[in-house]
Amino acid sequence: MSAVGTLKSWEAMMLALLVAIIAFNSVGSPYFLSVGNFVNLFQLSIEKSIVALTMALVIIGGEIDLSVASVMGLAACVMAWTFHAGVPMPAAILAALGAGILAGLNNAFWIARVGLPSLAVTLAGLIGYRGVARILLEDRAIGGFPDWFNTIGQQALIGPLTAAIAIFFVLFIFFAIVLHGSAFGRLVYVVGSNAQAARYSGVRVGLVKAALFVGSAFVAALAGILYAARLGSVRGDMAEGFELDVITAVLLGGVSIFGGKGNLVGVGLALLVILNLRNGMGLADITGNTQNYVIGGLLILSVLIPNMWQELTNKWRGRET
Amino acid sequence: MSEGLGLADGAVVVAPILEIRGVAKRFDATQALEDVSLSLHAGEIHALLGENGAGKSTLIKIITGVHQPDSGQILLGGQPVTIRSAAEAQRLGVAAIYQEPLLFPDLNVAENIFISHQDRGAVVGWREMFREADKILAELGMTLDVRKPARGLTLAAQQSVEIAKAISLNVRVLIMDEPTASLSAHEVQELFKLVRDLKRQGVAILFVSHRMEEVFEIADKITVFRDGRLISTRTRLEATPQRAIADMVGREIDLTKARTSCAQKDVVLSVADLGRQGVFEGVSFDLHRGEVLGFAGLIGAGRTDVGLALFGIEPATSGRILLGGKPVTVRTARDGMSLGIAYVSEDRRQLGLVLPMSIFANITLPVLRRYLSRLGLVRTGLERRTADTFRDRLAIRTPSVDLEVAKLSGGNQQKVMLSKWLNTNPSVLILDEPTRGVDVGSKAEVHAIIGQLAAEGIGVIVISSDLPEVLVLSDRVLIMREGRQMAILDRAEANEETVMTAAMGQRSTDSIDGRPS
Repeated sequence: MSAVGTLKSWEAMMLALLVAIIAFNSVGSPYFLSVGNFVNLFQLSIEKSIVALTMALVIIGGEIDLSVASVMGLAACVMAWTFHAGVPMPAAILAALGAGILAGLNNAFWIARVGLPSLAVTLAGLIGYRGVARILLEDRAIGGFPDWFNTIGQQALIGPLTAAIAIFFVLFIFFAIVLHGSAFGRLVYVVGSNAQAARYSGVRVGLVKAALFVGSAFVAALAGILYAARLGSVRGDMAEGFELDVITAVLLGGVSIFGGKGNLVGVGLALLVILNLRNGMGLADITGNTQNYVIGGLLILSVLIPNMWQELTNKWRGRET
Repeated sequence: MSEGLGLADGAVVVAPILEIRGVAKRFDATQALEDVSLSLHAGEIHALLGENGAGKSTLIKIITGVHQPDSGQILLGGQPVTIRSAAEAQRLGVAAIYQEPLLFPDLNVAENIFISHQDRGAVVGWREMFREADKILAELGMTLDVRKPARGLTLAAQQSVEIAKAISLNVRVLIMDEPTASLSAHEVQELFKLVRDLKRQGVAILFVSHRMEEVFEIADKITVFRDGRLISTRTRLEATPQRAIADMVGREIDLTKARTSCAQKDVVLSVADLGRQGVFEGVSFDLHRGEVLGFAGLIGAGRTDVGLALFGIEPATSGRILLGGKPVTVRTARDGMSLGIAYVSEDRRQLGLVLPMSIFANITLPVLRRYLSRLGLVRTGLERRTADTFRDRLAIRTPSVDLEVAKLSGGNQQKVMLSKWLNTNPSVLILDEPTRGVDVGSKAEVHAIIGQLAAEGIGVIVISSDLPEVLVLSDRVLIMREGRQMAILDRAEANEETVMTAAMGQRSTDSIDGRPS
């Protein structure tokens, strides 16, 4: 089976799963198919969905960014802190985005310039950025943001869609074009498949990696701000642990943890599968812990099934001839 | 080794140690082996020849228990056997050595030699193990520190450890799958000394190599495979290289005819006293347009390092590079590329190609910028057209340029690499081991392509450990030894003897001492 064939069958599998879940859910609960439920369902983890887009690029590029949730928290805390210190909200938002870019540059320096493994560097980032966030806010929860800011996070803006959902769709299209159409996207695949061969072909591998980590942190900061807008207040432990959900969605979307393989359509489908599955289970009164159990099982199956499928087809072909 | 008799070349009287009867094996749609029968006698060196995919590797994998035959029988010492795993093959006295030695770099030499002896009790008797390892190596005429980790051994020394490992297992049948592919001529001779020793001790040896002259030097019998079938088995006396090649490819190919020179007057690349601290020094030469300059020398002599310095991957730290008469600085691969220098790596799989990606994406990679639309998107249609042009020009055999490079044969992968760098329009093309692991048919094609490129005015540097190849292709040969330039010989002066003498530093008595130079 060619790589293209594998990808196609992967997406087909995700799509079948998604249709099955939606069918099951809509039979099980009369509320499920309503627009309201759908928007709600999307809105509940929209920030993770946004970060999953850049995470997909990072993992396809053969790296990983464990610091995204901490960057979300850091950005939100920087924003809240500067706002609390009397700076106007737009400037506070810019400061938050700036903090995200700085975090990304820091990751990029150690990974792309010094050449340390991203697993270690971003794990340090996970701890370090969270530490800064907690130092800034201590045990306080800061709220009382301007109304327009809370509106962005909580009110429907375009038809039934909130600003965050609209931003997600715009970013999805943008990153799909970047990954699958631009030269940078091509280089992400090349670097993720074989960074050495890329270097021997004159590709500036460090620059590609740096762009990935700065982009990842910038989008994480943006997601952190949106999260703050949705909640209406900010705490030091905000978004803690989100990185694992984000990575789960990306891997479930068919992106190879070893880099070089995967696409954004798969990731989009995986996001929908997880959302609908959780929502369905929620409507069926299944607790969060059980939900996690199911998602974990799904992740294992998602890795297992393609391998088993490959083996089965090989065997079957061998018998046929 | 009960059947082992000291026998003269080819004169074999006893029953075969290993007999293969009517073995067949099929993978998916490919008939990898079809009704193959072969016998191997004690003290016999039996060479297997064939292009990639001819069935040699499948046969070896069946004998070593990696694959099971669909039909047919294997007899060892006259007894039919079923070999289910490599471990079982070892117990039966069948061992294999591959092109890339499979040592554990962090274990010491003695541990590597005895790695398969699992029945020696729970406590390691170091002293005894070192003594036995020393003894085995001494029998092989090798001097290696058995206490040192295998990391850092030369490829040749690693191969010797593999052989010692096989001997420690009382091997009756030793399979050597392209053991010389990464060795220099001198190291090959050292290896052959070991092989002849084993032969004298009555070991039956199955020897696979793409290098015709080696096969004819060492083998008692030569068997040729093509498309999964055994085409011919001849004794060395009956066989000739021409007949063997004809059997391999099904037509006549001559790899010994020297290329006609097309070197022009003007110098394209001039290098003066080039060096890289601690790696090589004092390299000076002129490369003319249309000239093929061969780089000869032992593995580790610094030839590849000079190539990498010219291309910018491992920049030079001293000396001058002049391109078209102008001094240039090359600090990165991008510098090299933009100056019109291309380096085709010796390591196709790790450094040369992105295997999981398509042929066209590999070919356009260094100059992807040329394929962008005004909006900055990659024009894959244009990429495919470029790739198709090269597919026709270099005869890359593939159903489509969308195919993953991983799915191509070694020869076709080599052509994709060549296409990739020709697409950058280089004025200097550095080819590092351009025919390593490539079958005879493709090798002839690559040689023809090199001739064409020179005729088009490109200055070509060919780094190769295949001495006959260097001699056939080059207008001049630059010889290196231990990071120093020893000589530059004209075609008239260059022959195997003069080149080897220079490469050995005029003393040809050095032996493998196992330490990297």
